[in-house]
Amino acid sequence: MFWHNFKYSIKTLARNKMLLFWTFAFPIILGTLFSMAFSGVENGEKLDIINIAIVESEYFNDDEIFNETFKNLSDENNESRLFNITYTDLDNSKQMLEDEKIVGYLEFKENDVDITVKSSGVNETILKLVVDEVISQKKMIETLITKEIENTISSGNFNVDYDQIYNNVINVIASSEANLNNISSDNLSYIMIEFYTLIAMAALYGGVISMFITNYKLANMSAVGKRTSITPIHKGSMLLGSLLASYFVQLIGMGLLFLYTIFVLNVDYGSNLLLVILLALVGSLAGLALGVFVATIFKTNENTKMGILIAFTMLCSFLSGMMGITMKYVVDKNIPILNIINPASMITDGFYSLYYYDTLDRFYFNLISLIIFSALMIFISYSGLRRQKYDSI
Amino acid sequence: MKKVIEVKNLSKYYKELKAIDDLSFDVYKGEILGLLGPNGSGKSTTINCLLSLLNYQNGSIKIFGKEMKPDSYDLKRKIGVIFQEVAVFEELTVYENIDYFCGLYIKDKNMRKKYVEEVINLVEIKEFKKFYPKQLSGGLLRRLNIACGIAHKPELIFLDEPTVAVDPQSRNNILSGIKKLRDNGATIIYTTHYMEEAEILCDRIIILDKGKILAQGTSDELKKLANIEEKITVEVKDLSDKVLEDIKNIDEVDSVVLSQNLLVITYRKGKNNLENLIDYLKKNKVTYSKIFSERPTLNDVFLELTGKELRD
Amino acid sequence: MTVFKTFWKVIIKYKGTILLYTILLVVFGTLNMASNDTSTVFVDSKPNILIVNNDVYEGVTKNLIDYLQNNTNIVEVEDNEEARDDALFYRDVNYIIYINEGYRDDVLNGLNPVIDIKTTGDYQASLAQMILEKYIKVQNSYLADITDENELIAAINNNLEEESKIQINSTVDTATTSRLARYFNFASYSIMAAVIFIICLVLSSFHEKTVNKRIIISSMNYRKHNQLILTSSFLYSVIVWILYVVLGVILFGDALFNLRGFIYILNTFVFTFCALTIAILISTLVKNKDTVSGIVNVVALGSAFLCGAFVPTELLPDTVLNIAHVLPAYWYINSNELLANIEAINFNTLQPIFINSLVIIGFAILFIVINNIILKKKQIVG
Repeated sequence: MFWHNFKYSIKTLARNKMLLFWTFAFPIILGTLFSMAFSGVENGEKLDIINIAIVESEYFNDDEIFNETFKNLSDENNESRLFNITYTDLDNSKQMLEDEKIVGYLEFKENDVDITVKSSGVNETILKLVVDEVISQKKMIETLITKEIENTISSGNFNVDYDQIYNNVINVIASSEANLNNISSDNLSYIMIEFYTLIAMAALYGGVISMFITNYKLANMSAVGKRTSITPIHKGSMLLGSLLASYFVQLIGMGLLFLYTIFVLNVDYGSNLLLVILLALVGSLAGLALGVFVATIFKTNENTKMGILIAFTMLCSFLSGMMGITMKYVVDKNIPILNIINPASMITDGFYSLYYYDTLDRFYFNLISLIIFSALMIFISYSGLRRQKYDSI
Repeated sequence: MKKVIEVKNLSKYYKELKAIDDLSFDVYKGEILGLLGPNGSGKSTTINCLLSLLNYQNGSIKIFGKEMKPDSYDLKRKIGVIFQEVAVFEELTVYENIDYFCGLYIKDKNMRKKYVEEVINLVEIKEFKKFYPKQLSGGLLRRLNIACGIAHKPELIFLDEPTVAVDPQSRNNILSGIKKLRDNGATIIYTTHYMEEAEILCDRIIILDKGKILAQGTSDELKKLANIEEKITVEVKDLSDKVLEDIKNIDEVDSVVLSQNLLVITYRKGKNNLENLIDYLKKNKVTYSKIFSERPTLNDVFLELTGKELRD
Repeated sequence: MTVFKTFWKVIIKYKGTILLYTILLVVFGTLNMASNDTSTVFVDSKPNILIVNNDVYEGVTKNLIDYLQNNTNIVEVEDNEEARDDALFYRDVNYIIYINEGYRDDVLNGLNPVIDIKTTGDYQASLAQMILEKYIKVQNSYLADITDENELIAAINNNLEEESKIQINSTVDTATTSRLARYFNFASYSIMAAVIFIICLVLSSFHEKTVNKRIIISSMNYRKHNQLILTSSFLYSVIVWILYVVLGVILFGDALFNLRGFIYILNTFVFTFCALTIAILISTLVKNKDTVSGIVNVVALGSAFLCGAFVPTELLPDTVLNIAHVLPAYWYINSNELLANIEAINFNTLQPIFINSLVIIGFAILFIVINNIILKKKQIVG
């Protein structure tokens, strides 16, 4: 009896094309779009080689430090290359700036340099910063040389070796690099959040499946429900079989989505595969519970229920960052209470914590929240599910 | 005769509205009992109460001598129901739908297969086995609906208006199928608002209105309640008031109603009435085009009991 | 008149859907106004950083922090590592600097102490690192000769005071115009969704077999009836267009009341018209209401993602942009972006925008032609 019901529940679900489109195909299509649209975003945010122009003049040619610095920073073999420099005249520089072929140009005057840019921005700021640094170095050399000479003279040595001092100073400056130690995590790709919200959305969309199948079992919701209610089968075992079938179908969809995101879209879920699977299982369970809840609590036609479920899912996905990753952080930072009632955010944050954090506290917090959410949904639906006699149907 | 269903003092109300008002009746083994009444008279509500789908405020329901409860699985096993709405899975084929519902009653696979084939033959939808409900016409869909309800060979069958919006061919098919079921030993409760169906099909009829039993008995017994034995309808042109008065005074005439061109005369006794009327019309030179006589119908009974027509 | 009435009745039935797309647009529009969103290129040139000082707030340590405060944006984040890590991941900050205990003493002892950092590795982080490195370099260089802390601080600050002269050579306030462009880019999604979805649903209601039969046998001329439906659809599209223009005016005010704004509005009209033709074509191809919502979502979202309605086009990979050429939204968004950067609006500078509009109109004509061919074929078959 149990298998009979299970088997037919699966058949029913597998043949509903709309259901399969929204729960199976749509997340995959959306994921593909995400991947196409966002694949360039993070690379686009890396520092590019900045195109600039330098107006050729005697002042520039005479300025050894500027010359050296820019030569060095535009050297193709230099790993920390910053610039691609065109040496040209002023008119051409202006034209290039107008055409946005360069970010800005440098014009050297006597003891002075002018930077011209088109707007304020990061590249422009970097250009200015480099020029500032050269100026600062020049000043430093000046100060240090003066100091050295003063020191030499005050030590009673009037035989000042200027070249020696100059070289010393240059060496000091060259060896004064900061000692930085990068301790950030390797997994910093925030685009991943998009895919985590996608998984969350798919998990909650799974609720459509359980809602659909539950509707078929409730006498006050559908004619088929009436017919099943008069059969000599215990309602609990009937519902259990159908919901297991719905969970099974959900998990197949989830599995396909995971395979697709991992192998085609190269989504990184971190290294703890078992916990990823556990989270997917619990996330799907939350979707299932949500579907049962909507099916039982709202007494209206199937289309409206579908509307409620999809609207709720989209709202949750929106708040967990699907339409703009910043949204999730804004909620995390300002209204953390929302995360405790938003299942999509629990799922997203669960994957995030597996990907980004080494410790598992946050992951388990999300996992347990999801379980509580699911239990709560089922608990509220319970009396509606258990009910065998109605006041009206 | 053995009682299959005993209903005592059943009452059900929605807030102020009394859907069923102190209903008591019995159903005997092997009969077709008709529940006849206009839409909203409480027929479906009664059935849903009997099936333990609806809560009710008062009364007791016994089926096969036992009290009916939602978990009376031994009772439910013997019951088959055909609901007013078509209750089938859109996603399953005709065969699968029947097999699914039958499987909820019959565990044995081979037996189930046999039962499903049998019911498919009974409602004559063999050619459509692999069709999906969407591909079926209204009548075929109804037949599928019936097959799903009775594939497990129930001893007691509820049919809730199974012929609404069904083409005449399918309707005849359905009605003869129901008779076959009765002949095979099933007890049947049949609700309808088509009095012709009730007359043709039912061994006994209960007339319901506003949740109350107005009358019950065989079709002939009920017709006696109408207090008339014959009804003559004449198509006439221009009738003077005097003629109308005269007709009223003819022997055994119960009532005379003229609406548009139709003159309807009812008689308390049915002897030579047609002859007398024609004589009178000829004598008074009243021109008429058609004239026919008929026995009273259940509609006349209903009219007599409630003052309104059964047909809507 | 009945056709109009029915049309509006059906539209009112789906008002929730229209509202949804509109709210999305408003949310996006307002978020855009306030944020220096990290996923877009043109942002403030001060990087967002965090400083975690485990040392005393005195002397060289204080000076470093003060310097960073002047040259970067210090972001307020809860004082725990998890909050900081979150902030880094979501690009609320791009760079975190940890000043270790004993930093001040180590510096004064000439030890060049290690500074731990966390970085997002993007250009903002690079900028932050350059600022930090510059300061440390100056400090270390002066340490060779200066041992007194106050003297050292004075020397460092004196050196860093020096700044080069920079001038901006542009007349357009590109910050505002690119915000406008982004608003209209996103509007392309809202327009597509609202126009295609609703019109397809309404038309499929009209096409539904029973209704269609009823219409055919009704006294109204079938051709006239169709014309009325098309007129209603057109009117509805115009209303959607006006709605989104008015929203733009509410959000951006004056920025739309000039020639540039006028061209934005005009372009949007051309695009809305194209969306209408897509809607008509889809409704001819697909009759089933359920299928409509699936197709519309895929078409609207697909075109929005591929053409740059959500993600700025400069961040889209070239292959994606090449594919996007076959979608009308690409040309519309391209026009918006061009328009944001035009300095002087004249016939010459507007030429590429005219060409884009012609392409969009070309698409519209193509859709109408395909639609008519399909309709003809269907008539012969049916």
